[in-house]
Amino acid sequence: MPAIETQGLTKEFGEDVVAVENLDLTIESGEIFGFLGPNGAGKSTTINVLLDFIRPTAGSAEVFGLDAQREPAAIRERIGVLPEGYGFDDYLTGREYMEWAIETKDADDDPEALLDLVGILGEADRTAAGYSKGMQQRLAFGMALADDPDLLVLDEPSTGMDPNGIQHMRSVIRDRAEDGTTVFFSSHILSEVEAVCDRVGVMNEGRLVAMDTIEGLRENATGESTIELECAAPPSPDGVADIEGVADVTVAGTTLTASCTDPAAKVDVVRHVDGRAEVVDILAENTSLESLFNQYTEGGRDAEEAVARETREAST
Amino acid sequence: MSALSVARKDFRGARRSRLLWAAAVVLGLIAAFAAYVSGTSGQSADLVRRLFRLLTLVLAVLLPVVALVASYLAIAGEREGGGIKFMLSLPNTRRDVFVGKLASRLGIVAGGIVFMYVAAASVALTRHGAFPAGVVFGTLVLSLVYGGTFVSIAVSLSAAAASRSRAIAGAFGSYFVLVILYIFPVVQIPTMVRWVHTTLLGADPNPDLYNAVRYTSPFLAYRKSINLVMPADLRQTVFRSSLPADTSLDTGQVNAALPVYLSDEFSLVVFAFWVVVPLTAGYLVFERSDLE
Repeated sequence: MPAIETQGLTKEFGEDVVAVENLDLTIESGEIFGFLGPNGAGKSTTINVLLDFIRPTAGSAEVFGLDAQREPAAIRERIGVLPEGYGFDDYLTGREYMEWAIETKDADDDPEALLDLVGILGEADRTAAGYSKGMQQRLAFGMALADDPDLLVLDEPSTGMDPNGIQHMRSVIRDRAEDGTTVFFSSHILSEVEAVCDRVGVMNEGRLVAMDTIEGLRENATGESTIELECAAPPSPDGVADIEGVADVTVAGTTLTASCTDPAAKVDVVRHVDGRAEVVDILAENTSLESLFNQYTEGGRDAEEAVARETREAST
Repeated sequence: MSALSVARKDFRGARRSRLLWAAAVVLGLIAAFAAYVSGTSGQSADLVRRLFRLLTLVLAVLLPVVALVASYLAIAGEREGGGIKFMLSLPNTRRDVFVGKLASRLGIVAGGIVFMYVAAASVALTRHGAFPAGVVFGTLVLSLVYGGTFVSIAVSLSAAAASRSRAIAGAFGSYFVLVILYIFPVVQIPTMVRWVHTTLLGADPNPDLYNAVRYTSPFLAYRKSINLVMPADLRQTVFRSSLPADTSLDTGQVNAALPVYLSDEFSLVVFAFWVVVPLTAGYLVFERSDLE
């Protein structure tokens, strides 16, 4: 049975905002799944439907075969959640919050051990509302871990955390996954997903635009790679553009830059230029997952805004 | 029972609220002061009964404020502040959150009322050496019901409101509509109804109708319900205009002379309405809403 399954999931807000459109998503038990996409892509909306914070306009969402709308309590028994947009606004200490989570889950975890695991045992007796964002995130993560859930749902878990905290959280996630916990986590940061996930789904504007392993995504990359040759004297671009697999050539000062649609063409560019000028430095860049991500998401909302801005500027 | 765990957490948090403690102290001081200055001439048990009748007059206006202030953020505050994300990530249902919050706020307001009663009763006992248990416990129970009615209204509004500001507007609006409009002399609800009835519809004045409309307020229901636990000579005559001309106001006959829907006993129906209807509506809205 899949840990998470959505079919034709659609959520509209009001008349014209489609947050999630016809989403079919299946996450198998035991995998670490990265849910990737720019801000506003529909990741949190999807998670909020799975947790029954919001109700879908159409389609269904199931967790461990349980319908998210009909059996939310049974689902919550089996999952640990680090939600988005939470707040510690009661007059309670970190320890009391942790005890409350353990008590509500009817678990027998030791609050001290969990607080220690997420690195805030020393601050346990302070009011959680006064914690820094990073510490609150640690506490929320610790609360999600209580009762050793079958599924961890983490919405943008690294928000506000320092690099040490992120690294520590990753290793905890890996440990839990090794013990059989399914992990579903969303992020807008690719490197984070890359570091822990078995498989990723890329969301953009409410649609799932890619779903593969990291390697699979890399192989499917159709992006261009570039090579930069730093020469002793200004090189001549003549003939470089004729090499098969080279799309574009530019020369700026003593630097020649060639964009290649075929990564193998880079070697030919080096041979060609080296025969005619003295090459002093070489810088090659392969398609990164980042640019792949940008390809899938077309830069997300930022790109759209940039286009809109340009259009506005052009019309004035 | 996870409603219990929601209630326990809410109660634990509220216990540390300075505002709530300050409110309890002020209520206690008001009660103690009223008890201290209560008259000296006359039979002591009767003086204490009069004191508690006075206390209910104060509570009639004050208790809705206390209950609304203590409860209007119960759920809306969690929604705006994000606390509800944790509650509903843990094995709680929305019903648990609703019931738990209601129970906790009922407990807090009940605690305030009991505190006030302890203050009043102990000062009265020291000064007059009397403890008319029937009146003290009778008015206490009715005050708890009255306070509970406004807690129900406020929690329901809080559950239906998506934000803090709407919850504030709802609490303020309900106090205005349910209390102020019945005590402020110029723009009273019955006056408006009379105007619509006689001027717009051109009908003959019908005092029973206007009184029935007035009786829809928990504020009047509370004042009438107090008659149920007071001895005959301390009862208040509320709907004078519905009494036959020959009824003696001084006897215990007033209540019997009124139609059933204006009787003192009917106040319990009014309370029940204001508990059940808002809670049902508030819960249904909350159950169906998107929690962003």
